[in-house]
Amino acid sequence: MCRRYGTWALAYAFVAPTVLLTALFSLVPLAMLLWRSLQGGGVFDTSPRFVGLDNYRDMLAEGGGHALGVTGVYTAGFVLLTMVAGLVLALLLNSRVPGAARLRAPFVIPLVVPVVATALIWGNMFAPQFGLVNRLLSAAGLPQADFLSSPGPALVAVLTFGAWQFFGQNVILYVAALKSVPRDVLDAASVDGAGPVRRFRHVQWPMMRRHTLLIWVVTTLTGLQTFTQIYVLTQGGPDGATQTALYYVYNEGFVQFDTGRANAMGVALFLLSLLITATQVWLLGRADRAR
Amino acid sequence: MPASLVARRAVVYTLLGLAVLIVAFPLLWMVAGALKTDAEIVNPAAPLWPEHPRWGNIGQALSQAPFGRWYLNTTIFGVAATAGQLLSGLLAGYAFAMLDFPGKRPLFVLALSGLMVPFSAIIVPISQLLGDLGWLNTYQGLIVPNIASGLGAFLFRQFFLGTPRELGEAARLDGASELRVFAAVYAPLARPVAAALAIILFLQNWNNFLFPLIVVNTTEMSVLSQGLSVFQSQFTTQYNLIMAASLIAIVPVLLVAVAAQRHIIEGITLGALD
Repeated sequence: MCRRYGTWALAYAFVAPTVLLTALFSLVPLAMLLWRSLQGGGVFDTSPRFVGLDNYRDMLAEGGGHALGVTGVYTAGFVLLTMVAGLVLALLLNSRVPGAARLRAPFVIPLVVPVVATALIWGNMFAPQFGLVNRLLSAAGLPQADFLSSPGPALVAVLTFGAWQFFGQNVILYVAALKSVPRDVLDAASVDGAGPVRRFRHVQWPMMRRHTLLIWVVTTLTGLQTFTQIYVLTQGGPDGATQTALYYVYNEGFVQFDTGRANAMGVALFLLSLLITATQVWLLGRADRAR
Repeated sequence: MPASLVARRAVVYTLLGLAVLIVAFPLLWMVAGALKTDAEIVNPAAPLWPEHPRWGNIGQALSQAPFGRWYLNTTIFGVAATAGQLLSGLLAGYAFAMLDFPGKRPLFVLALSGLMVPFSAIIVPISQLLGDLGWLNTYQGLIVPNIASGLGAFLFRQFFLGTPRELGEAARLDGASELRVFAAVYAPLARPVAAALAIILFLQNWNNFLFPLIVVNTTEMSVLSQGLSVFQSQFTTQYNLIMAASLIAIVPVLLVAVAAQRHIIEGITLGALD
């Protein structure tokens, strides 16, 4: 009996740091966010009052709707680029070519060095006239562009850098996914005369479905929360063209001091990531039942 | 070797080589830029690699800003936050996997709920909260909110669920206390998981930009990434100094990454696929 209470005390002491700090620094701020998104007045207003969905309407009308659109375009491009590049490179690394497997390490580099530093490099490479990209464009006889100061090209530039920075993670994850396909199943397919393309289509791809789903979720959540790239390269400009949802939260909350709009967008970001995670849980559950 | 196999290998090597070049080229561009004069950088006709590399640029960048202080702050933040995440995750994961106590299920859900609340959604209220606590521009403000790790608790729980119960039973029969069973029998087994998780969490903390940005706004409390972005805004057109400053920030991390690549790859996989 004594031992049991001792065990309980130990267990509560062990879980206390995680549980209490999660409550204080995740759940309390979340409650504050939800509550304050329904209240009027900025940071300087001393008498907050309930305003219903006014902040949401204001946010959507004042650049927030546009920012959500930019986030959607950015995230879609980000997911497509990094997942396709990740899968293709993982297949190459996984091919039975000598030495290929050892080439995995370089792809980790962009992922682990400070984003601010690599963003400054890419800013320099996208510079007008002397930047690498414009040098390549003129070498190819194409017109140059002032990438970071024109809306369309700025989004392309930010997306290119974002994909470069992150795709290594999907290379690593797809290599692990390909390794999880049992060797004997692949060998059996080879014996039946299946070439690499058919082995991929009919064996590896279906057997990696679960991995692909998990990779999609992590990649989408990362794309949704893009911030540092934008902060360093464009500050959301030109003319809001690269203003993503998270940059909007930062800009309204910490630069313009319109916390009503910032909180409304914070809630939107929270709901979007919740939706992605819920989709994951639902699809995983369906896949498990189908098995 | 049949010709088709040779051709296949050539294609694989070419594509992989191209991809490695895309990864490495920006870093080479940075090194070249850091060693050029500004006139060489802005001249589109100048060669990609400088004729007379100016290593003095790096020293000049170092003398223009308190990089030493920023490195110190980043190290304190990175080490303390990572140690906190590992320890709290290890303890919670063990308790949720191996001990029975009232309220275990709801407390586990609560511990994981942090994973459902992306930090980026709550930056405004969290900075207000830290302001109310008087923790803005302090080390505790940087460190303490990052200590709870739902991922750590989850992964350590998974790990301990896979360890044999008999080990603990044997130690208990020998009269070991519950704390001793944990510390002497089970915790040492978790070392490989802890190593992979530690390096990944450390790099995440080291490179974290948004969190320090909303907690700290003085030069002497800034972390390296923040300092670098301020450096850039002060020397906007001195591209060689900006490239030299980026180099100062990148090289140490690059060395760590090369030394610990196996753990990093393991940690990335552990964090996303398990």
